[in-house]
Amino acid sequence: MIVDDLFDLVSYRIHPEAHIVVARPELCRECPHRACTFSCPARCYTWSEDRDRVDFAYEACLECGTCLLVCDREALDWHYPPGGYGVRYRLT
Amino acid sequence: MPAASFDAIVVGAGPAGTSAALGLARKGARVLLLERGEYPGAKNMFGGMMVYSPVPEQLVPGFWAVAPWERAVTRRVLSVVGEGSSTSMVFQAASGSEQPSAGAGSTSDRTLTAFTMFRPLFDRWYAEQAVAGGVTLLTGCRAEGLVVRDGAVRGVRVTGIDDTVEAPLVIACDGVLSLLAKDAGLHEGFKPEQVALGVRALYTCTEEEIDERFGLSGREGATQEFLGCTEGVRGGGFLYTQTETLSVGLVVHLDSLTERRIPPYELMERFVASTPVAPLLRGTRLVEYSAHLLPEAGRRMVPRLSMAGLLVAGDAAGFCYTNGLTQEGMNLAMTSGLLAAERAAGALSDGDLSAQRLARYAEDLKDSPVLRDLKTWSRAIDFMHEDRLFTVYPRLVSRLMEDLYRSDGRSKQRIGRLGRRAIKDEVSLRRLITDLYRGGRGYL
Repeated sequence: MIVDDLFDLVSYRIHPEAHIVVARPELCRECPHRACTFSCPARCYTWSEDRDRVDFAYEACLECGTCLLVCDREALDWHYPPGGYGVRYRLT
Repeated sequence: MPAASFDAIVVGAGPAGTSAALGLARKGARVLLLERGEYPGAKNMFGGMMVYSPVPEQLVPGFWAVAPWERAVTRRVLSVVGEGSSTSMVFQAASGSEQPSAGAGSTSDRTLTAFTMFRPLFDRWYAEQAVAGGVTLLTGCRAEGLVVRDGAVRGVRVTGIDDTVEAPLVIACDGVLSLLAKDAGLHEGFKPEQVALGVRALYTCTEEEIDERFGLSGREGATQEFLGCTEGVRGGGFLYTQTETLSVGLVVHLDSLTERRIPPYELMERFVASTPVAPLLRGTRLVEYSAHLLPEAGRRMVPRLSMAGLLVAGDAAGFCYTNGLTQEGMNLAMTSGLLAAERAAGALSDGDLSAQRLARYAEDLKDSPVLRDLKTWSRAIDFMHEDRLFTVYPRLVSRLMEDLYRSDGRSKQRIGRLGRRAIKDEVSLRRLITDLYRGGRGYL
């Protein structure tokens, strides 16, 4: 098993708008742990040196809530995707 | 949607919500069940098992004979993984216990059985039973928050139908993030030290291969839990057999994961390639990856369970635990959902949805296995937050067993001496005794 393969196997119905937004990126700059960047099981959060901020790729989100709990700076505007959108797990 | 056309709104069509909705409908209430997924179960990655429970039989006659479970687990393996070896304990129930209905004269004992499930299938089926029982199900509806007036919950703000829906009573079964109860001020949001992150990979092969590989026949199933395979992160590994798939993954405490700074998918990659796991997956094909949080702190994390116009059940109430040996969640969700429905039905028929009246729900839970079991295992659940249980002790067990089985031409030593050698450099005797005492207090 190769990690990258894992993420390709998930099925989504992607909404045009992000359901989670790093709304206060200035807080991430001072964040001592940036736990979102390594605890997100879908690898959605990355620290961008160029942009000097945390980037979030909402399309791959598994909606588990890990980021909501580990972000103790409240840098996120966090919602589930709109009804009917987001990850959808297979039937068999 | 006309106001007050429903007596109750249940948020979340998982096992808690569907049980609550169906329980209320059976008492004649008009119930709206809201689900944010395209269909109930669409958001569910549960790769586990539900222990037998008589509770759903109260809601769906002959539940276990008709519910779409995958395999009935008769074989449970607990493996302690060390560096060079692993040591397992196998529980094997007598054949026949997997039969879904114990007929007259049958020797089967389904109280020893747990049922593996595909929750996208199961949740959809269970919600269909609720709809057949008179519940109105709306899917693709995300509950945004609660409508609160004069200190009482009066409804739910919903996206998907662009409206608020009002009813005298709301039952929040919106899962582990418990956003509605938080919105209502019943808790301040669960903390990383109160939850675990589960990641799962799903593998397919054939039914026959699974039967052969795990020594199963008919609809029998097997599960295996792994301790010591998480690289120092508190947690464990699991493998569950479905009909023709295997769910394999890890459940790790979120606070411990962030302390160790290991990405969960990397832990997973090494776990599935590890010595005790890799042979079980030989010839299978990886088909899906998923992740979810689980309540893990027992009664410590249970929020206030009600207020005027609101009850909370299932994961949203923290009703899910492991004591290291058993894992329970779905049964607690269904039990709490049904208790919420019963308490709500009485309150609705008396027209009294006050905080005081609905507070009796918490009393019902205290008298039920839900809060009793969380109390019974409270010390064991706390003990599960001890790092050494996942690092030092699995290594010790392995080393001791290796020394016991080692044959290198030298004379043998008794276990006491081997044990003293094994703990050297690992843990002080005083610490070991303290931990044994704590463990003893938790389990004995």
